[in-house]
Amino acid sequence: MRGAFVTFKKELLSYCVSPVSWVIAVVFYLWRGFELTLVAQQFTLFRADQDLFPTATYGRGSTFLMVMLVPGILTMRCFAEERRSGSIEPLMTAPVRDGAVVLGKWAAAAAFFGLLWLPSVFILHLLEYEPFFNADLSFGPVFAAYLGMCLLSGMLLAFGCLASSLTDNVLLAAVLTIMFCFGLMQLPQPIALQLGELAQHFYIRELLDKLDVMRNFSEWFSRGLIDTSQIAFYSGGMLFFLFLTTVSLSSRRIA
Amino acid sequence: MIRVSLLTKRFGPTVAVDGISFHVSRGEVVGFLGPNGAGKTTTLRVLTGYHAATEGSATIAGHDVATASLEARRQVGYLPENVPIYPDLRVIEYLRYRAALKGVPGRELRLAVDRAMDKAGIVEVARKLCGHVSRGYRQRVGLADALVANPPILILDEPTSGLDPNQRRRIKQVVRDLAADHTILFSSHILAEVQDVSSRILVIHRGRLRADGAPQELVTTSARYHVRVVAKCSAAQLTEATSGIAGLEAGVATTGGDGTASMRCAVERGVDPRAELGERLLRAGIAVLELKVEQPSLEEFFYAVTEGTDRSEEAALAAATAPAQATPGEVEGDEP
Repeated sequence: MRGAFVTFKKELLSYCVSPVSWVIAVVFYLWRGFELTLVAQQFTLFRADQDLFPTATYGRGSTFLMVMLVPGILTMRCFAEERRSGSIEPLMTAPVRDGAVVLGKWAAAAAFFGLLWLPSVFILHLLEYEPFFNADLSFGPVFAAYLGMCLLSGMLLAFGCLASSLTDNVLLAAVLTIMFCFGLMQLPQPIALQLGELAQHFYIRELLDKLDVMRNFSEWFSRGLIDTSQIAFYSGGMLFFLFLTTVSLSSRRIA
Repeated sequence: MIRVSLLTKRFGPTVAVDGISFHVSRGEVVGFLGPNGAGKTTTLRVLTGYHAATEGSATIAGHDVATASLEARRQVGYLPENVPIYPDLRVIEYLRYRAALKGVPGRELRLAVDRAMDKAGIVEVARKLCGHVSRGYRQRVGLADALVANPPILILDEPTSGLDPNQRRRIKQVVRDLAADHTILFSSHILAEVQDVSSRILVIHRGRLRADGAPQELVTTSARYHVRVVAKCSAAQLTEATSGIAGLEAGVATTGGDGTASMRCAVERGVDPRAELGERLLRAGIAVLELKVEQPSLEEFFYAVTEGTDRSEEAALAAATAPAQATPGEVEGDEP
């Protein structure tokens, strides 16, 4: 775990000094600010539907546009850049497990992504105060929506790490991750329609249900409903992609 | 400390390292020589756990690099060929990160980094960004990284490549100083520095180990001596005077502009033909301007075990294929 922590610290520092991260942060905050303004305006109009507030906050396509784009850009340099510059060699010949390096890099990306989300929590809190909207927000659904976003982001960042470990081209790594995120958010429903009768088969239906991120958020997380099977699905996906990333890194040690 | 046994590494159909075996004892400084593409870096990468061997085995301080990779890696400080370091970190930050990654305890970290910077001579650039230091300093930052956890074994892949003579000299001095406390295996294709620094050399060519021994010993036993003669005569006279001397292989005489001729002759091991050659020249009434034995150099030895071997192998191959090319007609004729 020491190796993972050391890697985490170094990677987080790299994110904090990287111009790309600052550009992402600025765009992200502007986007979130714009979204929250819209939501707040809607809130003044539909004051009665306070329970739908998180739905309005997290069920928006624009939110998912950021979730679709940012993980790919954040994780593209994780391993692809190390491979391109050759710094993967001193890293992999240091006495540290491959899994610890993967965990450290993923955790740093997740922490930075968390930092991007953090201000929106305070903004939501501000809405409760008299000078603003004097809202009586139900924070259960907000918590569930944030939990869902953490799980989804964790899985997407883990895929980003995997994509980055497969190539030394950072752009290709980003495009792969963005394509994966796009597929996960947009394809399950069209696939279910195409499959027709077959989509009603128990396992296929369950898989498509779990993969349907947009529906999971609009019908579950943002309504304050937490389904343990969804937690297991996203956590499992995250661990699976982290495992594949470790295998991808270790593969060069295979004779 | 390092033991390699029948190590082979293939990349698809390409055999990078072909069944090499050697060992490096505690306290030795061993130069790993070979032309570009000989398999030096691949061998070092297997030893440091970056690549796995296709066949054979390697141990570092008793730990197998395949089965106890983590333990083996703990014993090694490795300087890769191009010294890839993170350009956005300061030198001191980079070394602190590397020391922590290598398991140096927090309370000893500052001391370990200071000691490594001092040994590598980079204290003055400690606060500079890694991306802003010169090539020579970059190499020394890499060396400090190899030293920071104070490992007993150092593996240095072409530590002086791309450096100017002054920087090369400094790195050589650092390696010499380190030899007191570390076992060092370093690769290079610059022969002079290997001869200067190492107590033993290994020569690898086309993935195979061609020589293993002390530099001087290898040179004197494997390479040929030469006799150089310069005389006041024509090239033809000099050729005639040097022919027929036992153990002396006459070379090609060249005529100088001032009525002199010179020749460099290969000499069989254990033979000193200077007395007989001098007498012959005197008898022929030729004034001798220079007659000296040229000691074989590591360069000649290197050429002999790499290019020379290639030529003899090519000649053997040509000899083997020549009858085969001539036989088809005979074979056809022999067939019933």
